[in-house]
Amino acid sequence: MDADRALVEAAAGGDRDAFDELVRRHQSAILGLCRALIGGRDDAEDLAQEVFVRAWKSLRTFRGDSSFRTWLHRVAINVARTHHVNRGRLMRLFRPALPHESDPQDRVEAIDARLARRDVVERALATLPRDLREVITLRDLQGLDYKEIARALDVPIGTIESRIFRARQRLRPLLAPLVDGRTTP
Amino acid sequence: MTCDQAAPLLAASADGVLDGERRTTLDGHLAGCPECRAALADQMAVRAWLARTPDVTVPPDFRERVNARIDGGDGLLGVADFRAWTLRLAPFAVLLALAAWLGVGASPSSTSTPATPSVAAAGAFVPSSAADWQRNVSGNALLEAALRPAAGGEVDVR
Repeated sequence: MDADRALVEAAAGGDRDAFDELVRRHQSAILGLCRALIGGRDDAEDLAQEVFVRAWKSLRTFRGDSSFRTWLHRVAINVARTHHVNRGRLMRLFRPALPHESDPQDRVEAIDARLARRDVVERALATLPRDLREVITLRDLQGLDYKEIARALDVPIGTIESRIFRARQRLRPLLAPLVDGRTTP
Repeated sequence: MTCDQAAPLLAASADGVLDGERRTTLDGHLAGCPECRAALADQMAVRAWLARTPDVTVPPDFRERVNARIDGGDGLLGVADFRAWTLRLAPFAVLLALAAWLGVGASPSSTSTPATPSVAAAGAFVPSSAADWQRNVSGNALLEAALRPAAGGEVDVR
């Protein structure tokens, strides 16, 4: 049973308070997802807001085949992909390379262990190709199960398993400062 | 089972979602393959560390700003949306093209009264058509004319 079902039905009928409650429930997850998907840049917050705006506008198309959470993650993936395409166009116009695509371990500033930890993770994720970054974010940061990820990305579960394996393999050396204990939780 | 066949199962195994038959097959392979056992350990380590990534701090006015955007605002995506910009700027592009066409095509002998404020100072330039503007106004000519004191020392701008 989808815990959000009653709120979703109310919001689809135009109830803004119900939608506001849905935003409250999912804002942290969606903001974290956006940060992970676009490399922790400052515009992640703007992107996360856009996810909820799109969700509000297309809530009537939500058929309830999956949970609202899974559907919302799918909306976020699509918004992030659009953002990626548009940003790519801008970057090609004004700059030859994206700054966050540099070595994720080149400037670890452990001012605060918690922030440093998230920083390392986000910069490591930013080095992954989009298909791997999406799937590992949904699995290990967002906690979606394999079926939910398959629905959100519209790819077979076997592909999800393979991508998760490859993503973790590529992240292992990049997360060495965390895994080897140099940055404590 | 080869290592290549085992690899995709290692992620599911680390997540504890491998079903019976595949679990048995993988376990059989792992028993004789130290490389895959190490790879499984890596999968579990990365999974555990990513799962402990601290939550982001949501700004207190986040919901407020979402509501404001729903009520009509636009955001960074709107700014970066090329298709939206094309549509928004299309009318201006048409107007500019029209203005350019009229400016180029206007008759030099036109006697129409200019719609812009005239500068009634001695020696001031008063354009009579768009074509005059193009021919006679270059650089800061208009500004200089406007600032040049009229007879009596005052600039009369109507």
